[in-house]
This record gives sequence, structure tokens and C-alpha cells, in this order.
Amino acid sequence: MPTSTRWFVRSGMVYFLLGVILAFLSEFELFSKISLLPVYWHMLVIGWITQLIIGVSVWMFPRKYRDKKKRESILVWTTFWSLNLGLILRFISEPILHLYPGSTLLNGVVILSALLQVTAFLCYIAEIWPRLQPRKKRRQKSKKREVNA
Amino acid sequence: MMPLQSIWMMKISLMWLLISIFIGGLILIEKAAGVLPAVWGLLSVHYELAIWGWMVQFIIGTAYWMFPKFLTGTRRGPEWAAWSVVVLLNAGVISLISSVLPQFGYLPKLGRGLILLSILAFVTLTWKRVVTYRNHSH
Repeated sequence: MPTSTRWFVRSGMVYFLLGVILAFLSEFELFSKISLLPVYWHMLVIGWITQLIIGVSVWMFPRKYRDKKKRESILVWTTFWSLNLGLILRFISEPILHLYPGSTLLNGVVILSALLQVTAFLCYIAEIWPRLQPRKKRRQKSKKREVNA
Repeated sequence: MMPLQSIWMMKISLMWLLISIFIGGLILIEKAAGVLPAVWGLLSVHYELAIWGWMVQFIIGTAYWMFPKFLTGTRRGPEWAAWSVVVLLNAGVISLISSVLPQFGYLPKLGRGLILLSILAFVTLTWKRVVTYRNHSH
């Protein structure tokens, strides 16, 4: 299992745990002022399930260029860091956004988190898209590359 | 070898993911900046695409590719059944997201029905492949 996959799966499990804790806390009156529902859903759907899918697919799906691991790992690691940074910023700022309307700092953090999440998925799609092709086509392409080299 | 049906399902699911994330990003920006209130109308498109278009479809595509194959005959069952999963699921997703337009208000039922049929086809196709060949004598 590659290092990036372990990071995706482990951080996914952390979000899973946090999501369940949040679901538990949201049942108490004390936390009714902050908006926890969108955070809870995104922790489970993006933080947990999607990160698990990303981690496993990066590990199990056939690589397009076996000799270009560096290019792949840059995209994978950009996905990991921008997704997790985006999620953390989101989970800190989104629940209290309505308590401080017009706060430039808070609005800026939310917008930054949105941009980071979009960047992460663009990088993931760029990484995984070329890997989705029949074996024959992959072999033909790598033979062509070998001939050209 | 990755079958064509899986490749189609996973590539389509990545496209749905892109659209869903783009809409989700716009909704989040709208929460902070408040400049695009109309984008809230796309909230159901955002989550239907994330769940059915992206997650379910990507998982089905991967399962169809990776689950143990039959030892005789067509290795993953009838191919037309796998294509029907692709077509029904995506027709269902398109129907669901089209229902945000007022003139297509009747489409959610059709969409859910098509998705139900696609999942039925997937379960039928995959059920017999949930096996182990560990004790199989050659």
C-alpha cells in the first residue's frame, strides 16, 4: 500500500470518527446555535467515503506511466493536501459563519476552502482519468513510447 | 483487464463528480459572499450527483471490474446486463437532476425508478460473483 493511500485512508477514518462525534453532539441543546448539519454530511461523504475511494483507487488502479511515478505522486499529494486543508478550513469556518455576518476573514476562509476542494478534485481527476483504459490500449501506448524513446 | 463497462462508469462518474464539486464550491462561495443566491436552487443537483452519479457509480464500476470472475463462459456475466446498468443509472441521474427545472417536475419518480432498475440489474449481475475460489480444485 503506497504512503499516499495510507494517508488518505487514515485521515478518512479520522473524519469518520469526527462525523460520528458531531452527530452525537448535535443532539444536545448546547450545540444548537452552530450549524453542524452541512459539516456532518461533508465529513462523512467527502472526508470519509470519498477519501477512502481516492486512496484505494490511487493504489489499485493500473498506472498509465510506470516510469513517471513522480508526476503521479505530485498530483496525488496535491489532492491530499488541498482536500484536507480545504476540509479543515471549511469545518472550522462554516458552522460559525452565520454568527459573524460580514466578517471578511471568515468569508475569505470559506471561499479559500471552496477553491482548495475544487483544486483537489481537479488534481484527482487528472491523476485517475488516464489510468482508465483497456489493457490493450495501455500496452500499445507504452510500446509506442518505448519506440520513440 | 478493466472491462469497457467499468471504464465508462468510472469516467462518467468522474464527470459527475466534477459538476457536483463545481456546484458545491459555488454554494459555499455563495454562503460567504452572498452574490449568487440562485445557486441554492442547485443544491439537490449537488447531492444527487455526489451520491448517485459519483460514489455509487464509481463503486459499481470498480466492483464489476474487480470481483471474482466466473471460471467458464462470459467471465463477468452477460455484457448487455452490464451495459444496461450503465444506461439505466445515468438515465436515472439525468432525470433526477433535470427535475430542478419547473417543466420537468414529474421526472424525480422516473429517475428514482431507473436507478432502482439499474441497482437491481447490478445486484443480479454481481450476486453470483461474491464467491471464493480458494478451495476450488482445477
